[in-house]
Amino acid sequence: MNTSWRIGVDVGGTFTDFTLFEEKKNYLFNFKTPSTPAEPAEAVGNGLIYLIEKYSIDPSTIQYLGHGTTVALNMLLERRAKPIGLITTKGFRDVLEIGRQTRPNLYNYEIKRPEPLAKRSHRVEIPERIDADGMVTLPLDHEAVEQAALKFMRDDIDAIAICFLHSYKNADHEIKAAEIIKNSFPNAFLSLSSEVLPEFREYERTSTTAVNTYVGPRMQLYIQKLKERIAGLGVKCSPYIIHSNGGLLTIPMATKFPVKTCLSGPAAGVVGATAIGIEANQKNLIAFDVGGTSTDVSLVLDGKPFFTIERNIAGFPIKSPSIDVSAIGAGGGSIAWIDDGGALKVGPQSAGADPGPIAYNKGGQDITLTDANLILGRLNPNALLAGELPMDVSAAKLTLKEKIAKPLGLSVEDAAAGIVKIAAAGISRAIRSVASSKGLNPMDFSLFAYGGAGPLLGAVVNEEVGSRVIVIPSNPGTICARGILLSDRSFDFVQTVLATLENNGWEKTLTAFKQLTCKADHWFKLENIPVHSQVVKYYIEARYLGQSFEVRVSPTISPRELTQEQFVEAFDTEHKAQFGYDIPNRAIEIVNCRIEAIDRNNKPPIRKNLEPSNNAQPSQRSVYCGSFFGWKNALIYNRDQLSIGNSLKGPAIIEEMSSTTFVPPNYNVSIDNTNDIVMEIIQ
Amino acid sequence: MKETRREKTFDAIEVEVFNNRVSSIVEEMGANLVRSSFSPNIKERRDCSVALFDATGRAIAQAAHIPIHLGSLKGGVISVLDNFEPEQIKPGDAFVCNDAYLAGGTHLPDISIITPIFYDREIKFFTACLGHHSDVGGAVPGSISPDASTIFEEGIRIPPIRIVQQNIINDDIMKLIIQNTREPEDRLLDLKVQIATNNLGAIRLNNLIENMGIESLNKAVEDLLAYTDRRTRALISKLKNGEQSFTTWMDDDGVAGEKLPLTATVKVFGDKLELDFTGSGPQSRGAYNIMTTGVMATVAYAIKALLDPELPANEGLFNSISFSAPKGTILNPMFPAAVGARTTTCQKLSGAIFGAFAQLLPVEKTMASCHDVLAGMVFSGKSRKHDGTYVYLETIGGGNGARYNSDGMDGAHCHITNSLNMPVEAVENEYPLLVKEYTLIPNSGGAGEYRGGMGVAREIVILEDGTTFSGRADSYKTSALGHRGGSEGGNCRIVLNFATKEEQVMTPKQRLLTLKTGDSIRMETPGGGGFGKPSDRNKNSLMQDIIDGRITFETVKEFYGEQLLEEVKSLI
Repeated sequence: MNTSWRIGVDVGGTFTDFTLFEEKKNYLFNFKTPSTPAEPAEAVGNGLIYLIEKYSIDPSTIQYLGHGTTVALNMLLERRAKPIGLITTKGFRDVLEIGRQTRPNLYNYEIKRPEPLAKRSHRVEIPERIDADGMVTLPLDHEAVEQAALKFMRDDIDAIAICFLHSYKNADHEIKAAEIIKNSFPNAFLSLSSEVLPEFREYERTSTTAVNTYVGPRMQLYIQKLKERIAGLGVKCSPYIIHSNGGLLTIPMATKFPVKTCLSGPAAGVVGATAIGIEANQKNLIAFDVGGTSTDVSLVLDGKPFFTIERNIAGFPIKSPSIDVSAIGAGGGSIAWIDDGGALKVGPQSAGADPGPIAYNKGGQDITLTDANLILGRLNPNALLAGELPMDVSAAKLTLKEKIAKPLGLSVEDAAAGIVKIAAAGISRAIRSVASSKGLNPMDFSLFAYGGAGPLLGAVVNEEVGSRVIVIPSNPGTICARGILLSDRSFDFVQTVLATLENNGWEKTLTAFKQLTCKADHWFKLENIPVHSQVVKYYIEARYLGQSFEVRVSPTISPRELTQEQFVEAFDTEHKAQFGYDIPNRAIEIVNCRIEAIDRNNKPPIRKNLEPSNNAQPSQRSVYCGSFFGWKNALIYNRDQLSIGNSLKGPAIIEEMSSTTFVPPNYNVSIDNTNDIVMEIIQ
Repeated sequence: MKETRREKTFDAIEVEVFNNRVSSIVEEMGANLVRSSFSPNIKERRDCSVALFDATGRAIAQAAHIPIHLGSLKGGVISVLDNFEPEQIKPGDAFVCNDAYLAGGTHLPDISIITPIFYDREIKFFTACLGHHSDVGGAVPGSISPDASTIFEEGIRIPPIRIVQQNIINDDIMKLIIQNTREPEDRLLDLKVQIATNNLGAIRLNNLIENMGIESLNKAVEDLLAYTDRRTRALISKLKNGEQSFTTWMDDDGVAGEKLPLTATVKVFGDKLELDFTGSGPQSRGAYNIMTTGVMATVAYAIKALLDPELPANEGLFNSISFSAPKGTILNPMFPAAVGARTTTCQKLSGAIFGAFAQLLPVEKTMASCHDVLAGMVFSGKSRKHDGTYVYLETIGGGNGARYNSDGMDGAHCHITNSLNMPVEAVENEYPLLVKEYTLIPNSGGAGEYRGGMGVAREIVILEDGTTFSGRADSYKTSALGHRGGSEGGNCRIVLNFATKEEQVMTPKQRLLTLKTGDSIRMETPGGGGFGKPSDRNKNSLMQDIIDGRITFETVKEFYGEQLLEEVKSLI
């Protein structure tokens, strides 16, 4: 029988994770190899060589290779690329630096803005002007552009952003300037603001374009190398890069718009969480991924993740649709401390992997969240990672007592439980704010806990959130790579309308959708997507006339079958849900029409062939379950021995290679059909 | 899972958890206010704030927006409590107010909405939010005239009155308010948004009451305030005991005359701290007076910034801190003094407090003076969008003070404000105006081992005859001081028709200057002070500043010396 392989690769800071799936025989394998930060494509290539050999894969039977990357993100966070050049309208080279003229922290003058991506001398002003209606009021000074190109060549600046005022209305000057630069400087990486982000507000547009330019050359090189390595192995399919919105970007798109990959990895994780949730019949999720230093929180409603338009990464605003992931500085390595007022705090400082928690015995001096969990018996106090990493809990206890418990007048276990509770409260605050900013009540959602430390904190986080159910997927540490296998091939088509309903807005909307539908059909044809797996989603972004932010209405039917009255009603309802009020007779302005064309066929169900069994042989240890329950004798399960249909009752601990689940006494656990742990609160 | 509470006066864990809870409520309210508002000053410039108070008017939490707003919000809640008997207030009511003398406000454009939250038929909390409405009537568009002599010239005065009665908006009151402003439609819509924002906060608080139970909630509030008090005291105890003074200067009192001092004397005794503003200048004949609530907000800001930026913004801050200013001074004016332009006074006052503390704090916590001005521009003319006039209000950041290890921030707001600029593309879409330039000003940052931040120039061209301009600047005569040998920052200027034959430097206070098509107005803001001796500046940093056009050779020669100039020249 022919095989057909699908491979997901997530390149993280420490490890490059692979998930392999064979469609015909239903094989599913996970694999990890150390990342190679200097040349990330190397780890991808090495891993593939190893896997091809190990599973005797014919490379030409690899049908799909999806790839989540942090190359762009890390370049930005670590400022590893060369400064860029910026070409802009005369009088406005400091827009990139002044930003919105705010300081990043109201009270703390130690916190500065990041250095702009282009030095002031490399922000070159060009005489030209286009007005707010898109009319040219001062023609482009060609010679000034040529001079700028020469200056950049001289100064070894090979990535150049072009951002003129009002180019979202009229891109002619940007296009012309790009041509001029290309003529004298053909190898430069150019990025036009009218292509990256054709929207008003010059600072956000310039910033997004600058980031795109900054990560561009390196991303181009990386993608080139990746392509060569993969082709060199005999793989026929062209790889996809995960878009920050969880969809797939083709190689040419990712090369041109690398800014769209800034949240590639976390977005894949949310895609994975969403898909696993749907299989587990949990369509409303608050997912949180707890790692070593930070936690990513996201929200899934009715089987769909939420999106955001604007994010701030490393101090730079980036406007590009992405899955709405909120990161906070709480993870296993977060350090506990007492502030001047005598309150216990956890994080944002982290002991990281090195020196790490005190119990790791690698020189750590500060009590971390992981130490607290070890002291409470929630993490195996003898060893972690299936025995590979021995623990020294007594040292952690001693420090906890001196540094935290004694000054606060608490017992060691109450202090440790307090540390866990505070870390969880920070995560809950992020969860509540993610949910409430969308007008949703977090109690109506199930929690989905993943990442190495998520399952340990799930129940504690839930004390503040109040969900009924907590879902913990199998292999909680590999959700990002698995999500890549589950990403939809999709493409967004947008058209700006900017007209009120009174002013023929609805007719214009319908016309826009007609054109967008044509474009989507064309894309389906181009990509050979069969009719039965074509899915089209419609979005109308609108606002009351005078507002600056849009509300998104997503009709379930084609807008062509929708009446204007139905739309108005849907808009008012959505506005009221989000902002707490509506203005029934206020003029409504349609801003954008959007179509998302999706290929649904590419997504096989991912599950191992699982059969119910009953061979779990739990051991026991004492686990601290909070001041109400105190120390309890808990059953300790090995997750590999639990299977579909099993159930158990807290207090319990479920251990697996890369994660540990804490089940307090007031929870029941069952293993669902797809091998997830489902924790339900006992009412 | 509900854990049983430990019976203690102070719970180190619960207090942190509770602070997270109330903070997330005010943060959500703030996001709602910005995202659903209509007037550019709120939606684009985010000149608004929200806070949460208990039944007696003590602040529990404030979202991090504009520090000065805490004063008006607090003053507003207190005035509601003073003006109404509890039995007069019903569930579903909401109050509106703005007045400095009747409602604890700091200036009239800041309109507060205050909503009581009931539980078991008693008021338990107030949610409060404030928007800076870009016009509330009065003598000039924007309602802030530097030389206004009484508050009656500054727009509609709203005492604490009920605008929502048992969930129904009182249209009569609403009409009276909005029709006394130049942009009635924007006022109407944004006041409705403010009312909805408080209601959202009320829903969240009711959930909190249900989850925690009212008794636990009350206890948690007490714990949070006690904790903040304790943390503040611990910080004060670390300061040197004693008394230190510092004086900053305004160019005049808003009308004319001599420079006017703002003097702060900090007195530290053990874990108590007193701020005495005796020595500050007399009441302004113009609009530069600060009401006591504004002084309070300025003090709260300065204490947080200087002692611990993470101190929760609540009433607990004031248990160990007191302040006073003699009656009849610019910091404690007598009715009916005008107060519209109080922000620059607040900035200078912050500078004085920072200066006094610099002598009590370790070097890592000190900085040279920031630009300490709130340069404001107001343009008004015929609206493109509706009948009547538009009012475009802009404030412009400047250079901030250098610190012991870093240059000052270039082109940013300092101290008690942090409002956003209006995007150039938004200005040109909304108004018949053209922004000609928005740039950092070379040589404006004070010299030093670390350079002061650079001031900003913003130049606007008029596209329609009859457009009026009102402007408020300061620091024509005074400059941001350097620290530990650093030099002063640059000055402020308002220039008419910059770089043309008609160029004219205008006086710092402009009232209703009528302009014709093609005229331009340029506002230049001051830079920040330098830190440490200029001769100690790193040569590469100086070289990069020269290459980047932040400083010219002439200025290097003047402030850093000929020798350093030659050394740097050889590097380029």
